Amino acid sequence: MIQVIQILILGIALGGVYALMSSGMTLIFGVMRIVNLAHSAFIVLAAYLAFFVFKTFNIDPIVSMAFTMPVMFLVGVIYYRLLFASRADNPRFADITVLVTFATALVIEGILAFIFTGIYRSTTPTYAKTSINFGPFFIPQSQLYALIISIVLIVGLWMFMRYTRIGNAIRATMQNRNAAQVVGVNVTWISTLSFGIGLAMAGAAGSLLSFVFTFYPAKHIAWIGMIMCLVVLGGMGSLVGALVSSFLLATAAAYVNFYFGAAWSPITFYLSLFLILLFRPQGLFGKKVEG
Amino acid sequence: MGTLVVENVVAGYGSGPNILKGLSLTVESGKAYCIIGPNGAGKSTLIKVIAGLLKPREGKIFFKGEDITPLRADQVLQRGLCYVPSDRSLFPDMTVKENLRMGGFVMRDTRKVDERIDELFAQFPILKEKSSQMAKTLSGGQQQLAAIARAMVLKPEMIMLDEPSLGLSPKVVQQIFGTITTLRDQGLTILLVEQNARKGLQIADMGVVLDLGTNSFEAPACDVLNDPRIQELYLGKRHQAVAAEECK
Ligand SMILES: Nc1ncnc2c1ncn2[C@@H]1O[C@H](COP(=O)(O)OP(=O)(O)O)[C@@H](O)[C@H]1O
Ligand SMILES: [Mg+2]
Repeated sequence: MIQVIQILILGIALGGVYALMSSGMTLIFGVMRIVNLAHSAFIVLAAYLAFFVFKTFNIDPIVSMAFTMPVMFLVGVIYYRLLFASRADNPRFADITVLVTFATALVIEGILAFIFTGIYRSTTPTYAKTSINFGPFFIPQSQLYALIISIVLIVGLWMFMRYTRIGNAIRATMQNRNAAQVVGVNVTWISTLSFGIGLAMAGAAGSLLSFVFTFYPAKHIAWIGMIMCLVVLGGMGSLVGALVSSFLLATAAAYVNFYFGAAWSPITFYLSLFLILLFRPQGLFGKKVEG
Repeated sequence: MGTLVVENVVAGYGSGPNILKGLSLTVESGKAYCIIGPNGAGKSTLIKVIAGLLKPREGKIFFKGEDITPLRADQVLQRGLCYVPSDRSLFPDMTVKENLRMGGFVMRDTRKVDERIDELFAQFPILKEKSSQMAKTLSGGQQQLAAIARAMVLKPEMIMLDEPSLGLSPKVVQQIFGTITTLRDQGLTILLVEQNARKGLQIADMGVVLDLGTNSFEAPACDVLNDPRIQELYLGKRHQAVAAEECK
């Protein structure tokens, strides 16, 4: 029994980071219908940023989020402006975005490999090596911090979307782009902002990942599959969906990992993707897409 | 000089052909205009151009004497010219009240927006009743009403309605037209696009026939209703005199 609960704790701890990884992706899809296949590559890029700042200036990766998040926000704004803004009305926009973002992922991977080589990296703040014990249970300190920060950021994003004027404009654009224009929302501006916010979330995820996992330039390939599963399971575009599916699957994967071995845990994600597409293609919290 | 003047407007989408080919139209203040015309004639395109959602390739648009051609959609709204699109276009997963709040998006004073929403709730009690329901749960007629109310949040001087009767049952169409008539009687300038030409012309002062991207015929609504060519083309019947009570 103790073991069962211990696994649950570790699963939930990882769920927070997974939720943060998928939140930006689901936001970007929800507002712009861009399937951002480069999302995990941007996360890895942010992890290297955190790594670089940690190695060079010895700045804690949690502290350097104050740097990685704005930098990634800017990267998102510029990236969207350069490649997508002028094409948003193109009838083949969706096809274009898949190709462009996939190419972007490969370019980022190549640049990172060139600068940092393929060696496995991670940041190593002091809390990365210790665990917190309570009774018979433990949680790695790094994962606890990552969980708390992830939840704070996601709840913050959710409240921003729900209670601010700009947040409402983002939700309106997600639900009906045409109607948003009709009431005077500048959807190009909202899209640019949302892409920036999406990548700022990727930036935060990268910083946290840097001390929870090891990473290397090609790591984004494994992660994009997982993030896609989480986003589709939650319902593409649904923040709450991404959050719930992240905790569900992280926990499920932790049990599979324990009882069947680590090699099987990625299967959890893909199997659940299969099942959801079979029985509820719009995802747990998704809206049926017309057309 | 009319409240809205459209001057030789040429417009189209992307690099596509001209949809509007030098269209001119003058809308007098406080009057109701009904635009009819075949599918694809460019009626919705004209409304989008006026609303600032599509920039014309040539020509100018004046509202209350001001050249609004270069203005953004939100700036046109702020001038008092609102638009109800044809698919009703609500925000499906927002409540009725949130939808109306979005109608006041360009007004930064949220207290004023809420006051205005209360006025509209008094005018449309059914919306008040449904105020905390998601828009997607409303019936077609209620959605249309909500879309009209959303445009009315800004207290516009002129409202453009694109096929408000689309997909509604005859009884509900009757109610919606009743609502539009009320707005007309309150002194609002109305530009109505209608497939249901007979109904539209009945509540309008002026009828405009749009075909092949130009304004091919413009006359008092009653004359349009009575015109034999129009009757054959758009009213789906052979020529017959329209009873006087059918005219406004
Ligand atoms: N977003 C768009 N992109 C490209 N062409 C469009 C678009 N919207 C409408 N059109 C074209 O413009 C023409 C006029 O359309 P529209 O103004 O909607 O006509 P109406 O409202 O009179 O039926 C049609 O040929 C239509 O195919
Ligand atoms: Mg139309």
